Amino acid sequence: MLRRLFGAGVIAGVVLVGVSAPSAVAQDDPVTMTIGLMQDMSSPNVTVGYLVPEFEVWNLQYATLTSKAADDFSTIPGLAESWVESNGGLTYAYTLREGLLWSDGTPLTADDIAYTINRSRDEEWYNHFSTVENLDAVVIDDRTVEITSSVPDPKLPTMDVYIVPKHIYEPISFDDLESYEALDGVSSGPYSLTEWRSGQDWTMVKNPLYFGRDNGIDRLVFRVFSNADAMVAALQRGEIDAAHNFNASSVEQLENDSNITVVAGLQGGFTELALNGMAGGIGDGNPALQNIDVRHAIFHAIDRNVLFDRVALGLGSIGTTLSPSADPTWIPDLGDGAFAYDPARSAELLEGAGYIDSDGDGIRETPDGEPFVLRYIIRSESTDAAPIAEFITGWLEAVGIGTETTVMDDTQLYDVSVAGEYDMFAWGWTPYVDPDPMLSYFTCDQVTYDADEAGYNDANWCDPAYDELYLQQKVELDPVKRREIVAEMLRFFNTNSTYLVLLQDPDLQAYRTDRFEGWLQQPAETGPVLFTNSSPTYESLTVIGTEPTLISEDTTEGTTAAGDDTATGDTAAPGDTAATGDTAAPGDAVIAPAPDGTDGSGDADDGGSNTGLIVGIIAAVLVLGGGGFFLAKRRGSVDDRE
Amino acid sequence: MSDVVKTQTTTFSPRSFRWQRRRAATVDFWSRFRGDRLALFGLAVLLTFIVMAIGAPWISPKEGLSAVDSIDNPTWATPRFDYPFGTDNLGRSVAAQFVWGSRVSLWVGLSATVLTIAIGSAVGVTAGFFGRWTDATLMRLTDWFLVIPFLPLAIVLASVLDRSLRNVVLVIAITSWPGTARLVRAQVLTVKQRLFVDRARALGASRFHVIRRHILPNVAPLILANVTLAVPISILTETTLAFLGLGDPKRPSWGKTLEEAFNAGAISRNAWWYYLPAGAGIVIVVLAFTLVGRAVEEILDPRLREGGL
Repeated sequence: MLRRLFGAGVIAGVVLVGVSAPSAVAQDDPVTMTIGLMQDMSSPNVTVGYLVPEFEVWNLQYATLTSKAADDFSTIPGLAESWVESNGGLTYAYTLREGLLWSDGTPLTADDIAYTINRSRDEEWYNHFSTVENLDAVVIDDRTVEITSSVPDPKLPTMDVYIVPKHIYEPISFDDLESYEALDGVSSGPYSLTEWRSGQDWTMVKNPLYFGRDNGIDRLVFRVFSNADAMVAALQRGEIDAAHNFNASSVEQLENDSNITVVAGLQGGFTELALNGMAGGIGDGNPALQNIDVRHAIFHAIDRNVLFDRVALGLGSIGTTLSPSADPTWIPDLGDGAFAYDPARSAELLEGAGYIDSDGDGIRETPDGEPFVLRYIIRSESTDAAPIAEFITGWLEAVGIGTETTVMDDTQLYDVSVAGEYDMFAWGWTPYVDPDPMLSYFTCDQVTYDADEAGYNDANWCDPAYDELYLQQKVELDPVKRREIVAEMLRFFNTNSTYLVLLQDPDLQAYRTDRFEGWLQQPAETGPVLFTNSSPTYESLTVIGTEPTLISEDTTEGTTAAGDDTATGDTAAPGDTAATGDTAAPGDAVIAPAPDGTDGSGDADDGGSNTGLIVGIIAAVLVLGGGGFFLAKRRGSVDDRE
Repeated sequence: MSDVVKTQTTTFSPRSFRWQRRRAATVDFWSRFRGDRLALFGLAVLLTFIVMAIGAPWISPKEGLSAVDSIDNPTWATPRFDYPFGTDNLGRSVAAQFVWGSRVSLWVGLSATVLTIAIGSAVGVTAGFFGRWTDATLMRLTDWFLVIPFLPLAIVLASVLDRSLRNVVLVIAITSWPGTARLVRAQVLTVKQRLFVDRARALGASRFHVIRRHILPNVAPLILANVTLAVPISILTETTLAFLGLGDPKRPSWGKTLEEAFNAGAISRNAWWYYLPAGAGIVIVVLAFTLVGRAVEEILDPRLREGGL
């Protein structure tokens, strides 16, 4: 249901030295595009996978009924070319494109759509259920499917659940579904997954029967790296064509390469400091954290500007509050509610709450006379976690709050977080386009009251007032009113919850501009190019030096169809993502200001640091060589004596 | 006259005789050690690092390690007057990390070695002296620990236990005692056959007395030589664990500096000043210990001495 942001890097690993030869350029060879990333899939099975990489696979393999515009996520035709609303917005009848086929030649009909929606609702499929929970789909004819919601649903007519092939999934029972490998390769999108070597790479080949544009790329290879520097080096050598999620410190180096464009794309992902609110009543969280003044004191002690400059290196943006959507415009202005860095205010709040340093050791005592020490868990799977912890523990100590740090991997951290056995940790989320799922995680329903039935609420905080607003926005069909309700929820959450959003995390991506062009950011200007919400980049790419292939009639058809029904007030944008005029792609909208205060390194240009490196290597050789000489010498002296 | 006799008796009392012999042995040891210029060089290097480790608070104030106290510093600064080894990605002084890191590296190196040797010697002496099923049991246990691949075991232990310095010491000791145990056992087996042991047993000495008075003094030189050679291994192990992110997150060690430099992308950035001091520090200290250790071993281990025993 969600995409946990699983870290920007691996703590330390074997440096993967690329051995694959640069991609061949000969005419007859298949055109391959290779994308490097730091994370393997958890499973390509659409009913169980939950990590970012498999979403890219599904975006390419399973077309959705409606798609999303590259520019602003607005709803555009997908498998359906048009739709008609009835019954006061509760029912939509979708008309499919003509002659749709699965990649194995089987016709794709309304039956596949109804089958997917109804089965995923009945069996509560992990990635489908939040969308289809209240829906019922009925086949009218081969090209028409009618979807009815039992409650007003502001998400409609957007239908972005992955449609699976009925003829493949029908024989698989509910019990077998979880262990299904999902390498059938039957696709309705531009590519289908054919091979997955866990921990190494996976390959997707072109679906010749795809209804959309043929970009001229025959194969996509996603290569998993265990070391970000090795991935950056592979990109610079041209072994891979694009790289996803490297260290912010590599940005400067990549920008100096004229054939490489760097994108720091935002799509709602954020890192938060979560305090244990103990709403579930289980675990051993420090009771002081249930005092809202103590929480605010902690929030005021943290300088998010410094985290942004020093840890995020000025990439992405400073955290404000929970970002519920990939579309940043959902975040309201917090005004005075944004917790500014104010250690004096922090000390005042702590004193008011009875936390005073009575023995003069620099650490305050709780009203019970115990030293006020909080446990802080550092994630081992993110390279930013340690520097963030370094700063936060330092700031907390400065206002007299002691900290004890421990390091955990994500599995361990998940276990202690559902068991409530923590005081604080920094972790992240990446939201969907519709704010509903992200907002739902902080309702009382999602609080974990029993570690065996874990909910999503890792703030371990909830409030009936928030839940009330949540239910209101869930059925509000007027988009303007819904935004107002969500804004109120977010302000309430910001003030009352146990979450402090530290950073809006960018997806750091870079691509070579010498083999393919037409890279698309989603959303426009600010978003990433790869691993986006609906992955429009691939269809827009062109192999440099080849004739762009003209697509069939579907572009125009789609545009008119979308124009026909904007009844709900949802702005249905013209569906021109598949257009061949792909040079419009803002290939160089890059957010990369130089980090502040780098004057020291600024002086040392490449030549300087190379000289330094050489000096260093010589010094190391001297030390090692000297040691070897000494040892040899010693042997000699022993021999002499004998 | 009676005075003289009295003096003579005190001079040749067993206690003073022992002391005299020890003093002579120390003088002899030192004169041999002094003859080895490399060992002296190693000792000088070690003393420098030990002085640096003890004097860390005076050499480099602890604030230099704090990211929060370094927010006004430039990041990635190359070495210059106010930052002798430059600064890191968070603006912290690399020199401060080097100075404070020596504390952890030396402390873990020494205490892990003491623990390793203590476990190893206890097992080795017990197995060698008592023989039979005690020997068989302890040696199978030793074999078992010997065949477990060292690094995976250390990583598993370090990730299961909390990440603290004490546990790092424990992990190193648990994974590296078997070598010492085998070595000590072998030496105990040869010492046990000597006539003076039989003689002591015949005179009614208890086993404990024999171990304390006859076995231990004779294996002590070997143990001591083993200590100086085990320290470098302990230091390197600590570095390895810290580099893999399994060290104490709150204490700067050279291994942690290397880990942070690696994670911050210092290598692709060519920020050599970030990782070189810690790397060189490890190499130099390990080398110094090895030089001293070889010399000590040579002097104390009769097999390496001219003429043998």
